[in-house]
Amino acid sequence: MGQKIELACIIDDDKIYVNLVRKIIEIKHLSENLLIFKNGLEALDYFKVILTNMTADKLPDIIFLDLNMPVMDGWEFLGEFIKIKNNFDKKIILYVVSSSIDPRDLERAKSFNLVTDYLIKPIELKKFEQIFDRDVA
Amino acid sequence: MLNDLQLNSILEDFDIAYWKINILTNEITWSEHFEALVGKPSTQDSIFNYFLNNILHKDYKYDFREAFERLTSGSPEISQEIKLKLQNDKYRWFECRNLKSKENSNKDTAVLLFVNIHQSKRDQYTIEENFFYYRETAEMTSTGGWYIDTLHKAIYWDDVTKKILDCPGDYQVDYDERMRFYSTDHQEKALSIFNKCEKYGIPFKTEIKMCTLYGREFWVRATGKPVYNEEQEIIGIRGVFQNIDENKNNELNLQNSLDIIAAQNSRLFNFAHIVSHNLRSHSSNLSLVVQLLSETQPLKDKMELLDNISDISENLDVAISKLNEIVTHQDVLTKERKTTDFSNALDVVMASVSSLIKRESATIISDFKALKEIQYIPEYLESILLNLITNAIKYKQPGRKPVIFIQTYLSNEKSFMEISDNGMGIDLDQFGEKMFGMYKTFHRNSDAKGIGLFITKNQVETLGGSISVTSTVNIGTTFKIKF
Repeated sequence: MGQKIELACIIDDDKIYVNLVRKIIEIKHLSENLLIFKNGLEALDYFKVILTNMTADKLPDIIFLDLNMPVMDGWEFLGEFIKIKNNFDKKIILYVVSSSIDPRDLERAKSFNLVTDYLIKPIELKKFEQIFDRDVA
Repeated sequence: MLNDLQLNSILEDFDIAYWKINILTNEITWSEHFEALVGKPSTQDSIFNYFLNNILHKDYKYDFREAFERLTSGSPEISQEIKLKLQNDKYRWFECRNLKSKENSNKDTAVLLFVNIHQSKRDQYTIEENFFYYRETAEMTSTGGWYIDTLHKAIYWDDVTKKILDCPGDYQVDYDERMRFYSTDHQEKALSIFNKCEKYGIPFKTEIKMCTLYGREFWVRATGKPVYNEEQEIIGIRGVFQNIDENKNNELNLQNSLDIIAAQNSRLFNFAHIVSHNLRSHSSNLSLVVQLLSETQPLKDKMELLDNISDISENLDVAISKLNEIVTHQDVLTKERKTTDFSNALDVVMASVSSLIKRESATIISDFKALKEIQYIPEYLESILLNLITNAIKYKQPGRKPVIFIQTYLSNEKSFMEISDNGMGIDLDQFGEKMFGMYKTFHRNSDAKGIGLFITKNQVETLGGSISVTSTVNIGTTFKIKF
């Protein structure tokens, strides 16, 4: 059993999904705190602010990134995040989470080094527990 | 003087056989060589009848008999081309003519010579036959020959070349005007290939668009080679034009259909992906709810989760009706084009969005003077206008009243419509490629559903047109539709 995850981050525009995940995290006590952004741009803005004022405790241990979102989608976020992530001293685990079963999306997601895995919605409760348990920094 | 023996031997050497005819008695004597060729005559019949019935080809019976009668009645000169059956049963061509009688010679005797002309006759046939095939081939394949005398700046065309260029048979092409027979956009290419051939002797084989005397454009395959004189200097270019317009057009149409099919295929793929994604996102939420329900103990928490189910079912319903909308919009081929008036279509659209126009104080200016109507599906034109107008208003520049300018015009015989606005504009470098994709929104705008432009593009393309966009951030956007 690893260390408990302090801060998890969800980037997803599906409110119902986000609420359900929030509930799972609460019930299973998977993370102390939760950051929620409804598109890539909001999340990116958050990380850019931290860059200017470095405080590691505000950086999430784990990110769950949706692909299909308005304003800035998951791909665009990945493209931007890759440019700034090396400025953080903390290792951030990133999962792409999508209901797309298009193999092209899968391939593309795996081509990013910073993507740990591609998870297809719905994620089993047990899988959530495993992820939070195993992937502690 | 040569004696008969010497003469015979000479005639034989030249493959010449002859008859000696006694004009008084009509008695015929065959020379040895003649007998050697056709065989000895049967003794049963008269030698003449035997010849007519057994040696001479039946096609020449009449003519020969007539010539023979003229000879025996003293005609000074006869000459006939006939076919004789030789000993080996094969027919060969002979020229049959009389030896002219000299003043002092024996007037009672006539000599009829048989000269073997088979080889030259056959060559002549071969040439005629080849020429016939050449002409037929040229006609059937619309292939015309031409020659350019580069020294004297003169051009020679054969009949087929004139025909494919719609020129009358007596047309003489002027060297300085030769470029008028190439389509304007291919003249440069034509000049270049002819110059290279004339200067450096580079032959060419290319497909090029030509232009007839009356300006009709068509595709030809042009082949040309340099012609050298004995000093190895280029003195001309020789070649052929083959009319391949039908093939070329078929090829272009085929490519076109292929592109359309590829585009439709990619749309279908996109659509299937979207359908799967949109339905899956709701079903996966449902599955999460079910999992949570079994994990949650207090009844109150369970009841809360049930609320989610009603939300999910509502969203699912919206997703399905949206997908239906797309399907309905894509299913166009059942509708027919008719004369569609731009002004009428705009009136319909303005009426349906009048409250939005009023609320945003939008101004819509239209200019349909250059092109009042097109053959189109009215519902489509309305839908296109509706999408682009609401788009322009939705993405107005904050603090600026929306102004939309709509204009139609003809260019190169194609119909165009441009819709320009003074809105916030779009960064095309960033979003250009996805502009017309499904569920793409570019602005932080809660209304943005990202389906309008996808539908618009689909409608324009299914009716064979195309849509393009130019935009400057903070200045405005112009959509250009080619119908």
